[in-house]
Amino acid sequence: MKPLERILHVEDVPSIQVVTRIALERIGGFQVLSCASGEDALARGPAFAPDLILLDVMLPDMDGPETMHRLRELPALAAVPVVFLTGNIDDQRLATLLNLGACDVLSKPFDPLQLSERLRTIWTRVHE
Amino acid sequence: MDARDADAQDMNPHDNEPSRLAALLRYEILDTPDEHDFDDFTQLAAYICETPIALISLVDDRRQWFKSRVGLDVSETPREIAFCAHTIQGDGIFEVDDARQDARFADNPLVTAGPAIRFYAGAPLTSPDGHNLGTLCVIDRVPRTLRPEQREALSRLARQVIRLFEERLLTKRFAEQAALQHAILDSATSAVLVTQTDGTVARLNPAAERLLGYPAETLRGRPFTTLFAAADLQRRAGALTRESQRPIAADFSALTAPLARNGSDVREWQLRHRDGHLVPVLLTLSPILDGEQRLRGYLAIAYDLTLQAQLQLRLQQIAAQVPGMLFQFHWRKGTAGAFPYASEGIEQIFGLRPEQIADDLRPIFAVVHPDDRQRVLATIREAAGSVTPWHFEHRVLHPTRGQRWIEARATPLPQSDGSVLWHGLVTDITERKAQQAELDKQQEMNRRLLEALSEGVIACDAQGNLTLFNDLARQWHGRDAAPVPPEQWASVYRLYQPDEQTPLAPDQVPLFRALHGERVRNMELAVLADSTPRHVLVSADPLFAPDGSQIGAVAVLHDITERKRIERMRREFVATVSHELRTPVTSIAGSLGLISSGVMGEIPAHLQELLDIAYQNSQRLSELVNDLLDMDKLNAGQMRFEFRVQALQPLLEQALRSNAGYAQRYKVSYRLSNPADALVRVDALRLQQVLSNLLSNAAKYSPPGQEVELSSVRSDETVRVSVRDRGPGVAEAFRDRIFQKFAQADSSDSRQRGGTGLGLAISKELVERMGGRIGFDSTPGQGACFWFELPLADRVKEIT
Repeated sequence: MKPLERILHVEDVPSIQVVTRIALERIGGFQVLSCASGEDALARGPAFAPDLILLDVMLPDMDGPETMHRLRELPALAAVPVVFLTGNIDDQRLATLLNLGACDVLSKPFDPLQLSERLRTIWTRVHE
Repeated sequence: MDARDADAQDMNPHDNEPSRLAALLRYEILDTPDEHDFDDFTQLAAYICETPIALISLVDDRRQWFKSRVGLDVSETPREIAFCAHTIQGDGIFEVDDARQDARFADNPLVTAGPAIRFYAGAPLTSPDGHNLGTLCVIDRVPRTLRPEQREALSRLARQVIRLFEERLLTKRFAEQAALQHAILDSATSAVLVTQTDGTVARLNPAAERLLGYPAETLRGRPFTTLFAAADLQRRAGALTRESQRPIAADFSALTAPLARNGSDVREWQLRHRDGHLVPVLLTLSPILDGEQRLRGYLAIAYDLTLQAQLQLRLQQIAAQVPGMLFQFHWRKGTAGAFPYASEGIEQIFGLRPEQIADDLRPIFAVVHPDDRQRVLATIREAAGSVTPWHFEHRVLHPTRGQRWIEARATPLPQSDGSVLWHGLVTDITERKAQQAELDKQQEMNRRLLEALSEGVIACDAQGNLTLFNDLARQWHGRDAAPVPPEQWASVYRLYQPDEQTPLAPDQVPLFRALHGERVRNMELAVLADSTPRHVLVSADPLFAPDGSQIGAVAVLHDITERKRIERMRREFVATVSHELRTPVTSIAGSLGLISSGVMGEIPAHLQELLDIAYQNSQRLSELVNDLLDMDKLNAGQMRFEFRVQALQPLLEQALRSNAGYAQRYKVSYRLSNPADALVRVDALRLQQVLSNLLSNAAKYSPPGQEVELSSVRSDETVRVSVRDRGPGVAEAFRDRIFQKFAQADSSDSRQRGGTGLGLAISKELVERMGGRIGFDSTPGQGACFWFELPLADRVKEIT
């Protein structure tokens, strides 16, 4: 199993984006590309060639599910697992997101100290 | 005599014979004993005609019978051989000078043998109606001829005999009449007195003797007026004098004066009994006139009214017991009407005497309140016209008692002469009116009170008829109390559940429940009658009469629409703020976490402590925000549960593991004791949330070094999970609101203990959503035991 190394992170709120990126880089030791919008991710994502995409659900203009849908249309990203981050989670919403093809949904706020560990767990599960 | 005989033959005896016989019988003289009056005539006839034999002979259908006879022994002979049978065929004297020489009689046995008649002369006895009843005849045993004067005398005597017949008949008839009169008078129950024209008593019957106590002979010959009280005669004479405009004396003429006009007079009088007491009578006085209309005397019939007087007295006594006035009112079309009877109560009601209104309505109308007169008259006319019971309340201006309210009611009794007799009762209802007015005032007060309330009030009677909607209730429901059956209250008045979507079932309506004996407290519902939904809290109670029977129900509606709106705004505000806070709080907490974890580099020791404080508080802030959002979701019904039947014990073990950090932080230990083997149907995540809350609370409130015990116990239907600590327990004052939002024992608590004050409220909500209940047992100073119970799912599992 290939180890999890490169993460495309899409988050529009700068402070959360920074905290998340630092946590992933410093604690998880991942290479992280932070994008502020779906458009940004579509533009820069393919070149980055991520192992996993961490996608916020609430995004301006193009929301998380829409962004996932568009990213999947790009051949370079079609098979990359997507993990949603959302603050507004309930069972119905969770089911909807999983049905769309996400491999997991993490709730906000998350503990930045534990985030990397949880992503690795998901990565392992996806590859089993 | 041939000529007379021929005349006799001409007459048709057969036509006349039946009526002749009837005329004869009418005198009722046949076969009666001898009477001297008649013998005088036969003697006279024999003497005048100088014959030895004279007879008064009456001829009936088969014989001649002698009422009187001189010179003859037999009392009758057969008609076939009777000379008289020939006489009655003619009008005059029938004479046979020598029967032996006469072919009609030569071989008559009366001629050939017996008295051996040779001479016969008979004068017919002709009744006033022309029938020859018989003869007065003279007979001799030698031939002879009457002289003309003898013949004339015989005819005259015959007429006298008939007159005697008539007289005898009249006497007999008179005697019979007299006997009949006696019999009638003697047996009459009414007292009858006959007076002479001058008023002297001539006769009186036994009833009169009994009534007045006088033997007939004592009273006979005395003036009739001795039976009257002088004062009564005086009064009557006065009245007659006024009426007739001519002087009438206070004597017998005071009794007879009205007869000239009326023929007879009927009037109530008091007659004096021989022993002195007065006898009430109804006296009818009539003149006795003879055939020529001459006044022969007077007939007085006195009908004893003693019994009536007693009845009258009894009625008076009864009437005196009746609070009010009993009356009899006689009304004839086109007349004002009169009161034949009014009880003494009239004094109390109208200030009048019964006599005053006996013939005149005016005294009563004079005291009826002027404003009521027209309506009183109108209702009487209407009731009289339709012959329906009359009932009316009006005012009276009593001469001494002032204005009174009276109630009158009467029932009509149509009379055969077309008039209507009313029997009724008039009562003084002034007191009742005053009470009614007071009651009206109180009701008005109650009504105003109801309208002044800021609550809606609705009431119904025991039958479920809506009886009251105050202003607000009308306004809120968009309509007034209407005849709507209880089963339709919810639909007609548009009552819904608080969600404004689900119609209220008929038996959920608070007033309906109260009508069925239930007490309802603060039930929330929505009224959608208006354009904007109105939310109300309703309390409803059954209403009871003093005897304990239910007389209806009342519901009080408190409008909470505005409160709900403010609550919703507050909730929305909290939700919005929470949402807005979450991002910055997350950033802060995350940043601080990264820094204090040391991943960003070594932290100088003097900064570490402050960083820890900042990190811990930012985490607390984060929890608060999460709790608030959870609460909002629960309130809004947006939190979804994923129920799964699962074993309870692993969930408890997991909870201990997850909360180990807390135990560590507060230096307490968790212990799982006696875990019950139970299956529950829960959302595992939500149950963990509840357990975390209880365990963290227990840790927070326990003194360091103490143990927190988690246990579970099965009962028949449920399993109880308990978290027991050794802390200070729950303060008495706090118990009631411990499960309310933002509740902590005191405001300093949250600073000391941490926590948001929402944990128990959320836990309660979650447990209840999972079909359970939550509670606690605590003695201050001896720790607390928080518990929740969940329904066992064992059986559910078996089935599925």
